Amino acid sequence: MKVIYNTLFKRTSAYAVAIMASAFFFERAIDVSSNTIYDTINKGKLWKDIKGKYE
Amino acid sequence: MMKAVSCAYVRASAQALSTSLRASGAAVNAIATREAHSDLQVPDFSPYRRDSVKDVRRRNESAEERKAFSYMLVGAGAVGGVYAAKGLVNTFLGSMSASADVLAMAKIEIKLADIAEGKSVTFKWRGKPLFIRHRTASEIETERGVPTSTLRDPETDDQRVIKPEWLVVIGVCTHLGCVPIANSGDFGGYYCPCHGSHYDASGRIRKGPAPLNLEVPTHEFPDEGTLIVG
Repeated sequence: MKVIYNTLFKRTSAYAVAIMASAFFFERAIDVSSNTIYDTINKGKLWKDIKGKYE
Repeated sequence: MMKAVSCAYVRASAQALSTSLRASGAAVNAIATREAHSDLQVPDFSPYRRDSVKDVRRRNESAEERKAFSYMLVGAGAVGGVYAAKGLVNTFLGSMSASADVLAMAKIEIKLADIAEGKSVTFKWRGKPLFIRHRTASEIETERGVPTSTLRDPETDDQRVIKPEWLVVIGVCTHLGCVPIANSGDFGGYYCPCHGSHYDASGRIRKGPAPLNLEVPTHEFPDEGTLIVG
C-alpha cells in the first residue's frame, strides 16, 4: 500500500498516467467480459451459432 | 488523554495572548475575559479514531496507507470516467465520418478493355456523369501541340491526364452545369448544347461561355486495364 502510494499517487503526473494506463486495461476487460456475458445469455440464437444450418 | 492535551493547549495560547498584549501595552485582562475561543472544550473523538492514530504522541505511520485508500477510490472513479469519456468522444467522431453506403459509392472501378479507341463512355459517379475517353494517337498529338497561351484556363495536356490514352473528366459543363455531348463541337471533344461551350479532347474550354476546363477527378491505374476513380 505504502509503495503504491509513493510510486503512483504521490505525484499528480504519475497519478494521471496511472489512470490513463489502467483505463486502457479496464476498457479491454469490460468489453471482453460484457461480450462473453451477452454470448452466454444468447447462446443458440446468434448467427455464429446457427450459421452451420444454412451453409 | 485528549482532554488533558486540549486543556494544556488552551492554557498555553491564553498565556501567549496575554504576553503579546502586555508587550503592546494594552489592557492585561485577556485571561479574565471568557471568550468562545479561550473556553473551547475540544470534543473527544477517540471512539471514532483508528487504533493507529489514537495515541497522539506516536508517529503517524499509517498516513500513507490511508491516503492510498482514498486515492484508490478516486482513481477508480477516474478510470471509469476516462472510459465513459472515450466512448462518448468515439461516438461523436464516428457520427462525423461517412457511413458505409456512402463509402461504397465513393469509388468506381472501370474495365478499360471495354472502351474502344476513339470512344467516350459515360458512367455515373457520385451522382454526376463521368466521361472516360479512349483517345487516339492523333488526338493526343493535337492536344499536346496546343499552346497554353491561347487557352482561357491554361493547362497543358500532361497536367490533365495520367496515361495519355485515357482522359477522365466529370461531365458537367463549368458554365451552368449541363451535361456536354461527346465527340461533337468545333474541337473534336465535347460540346455543351445549352449555351454552346466547346471543349477539346483534353476537356479544356476553347470556345463559348464556360470559364473553366472540365474537372478532372482524382483517379489511378492500379494495373493495366483497370481504372479507379475516387
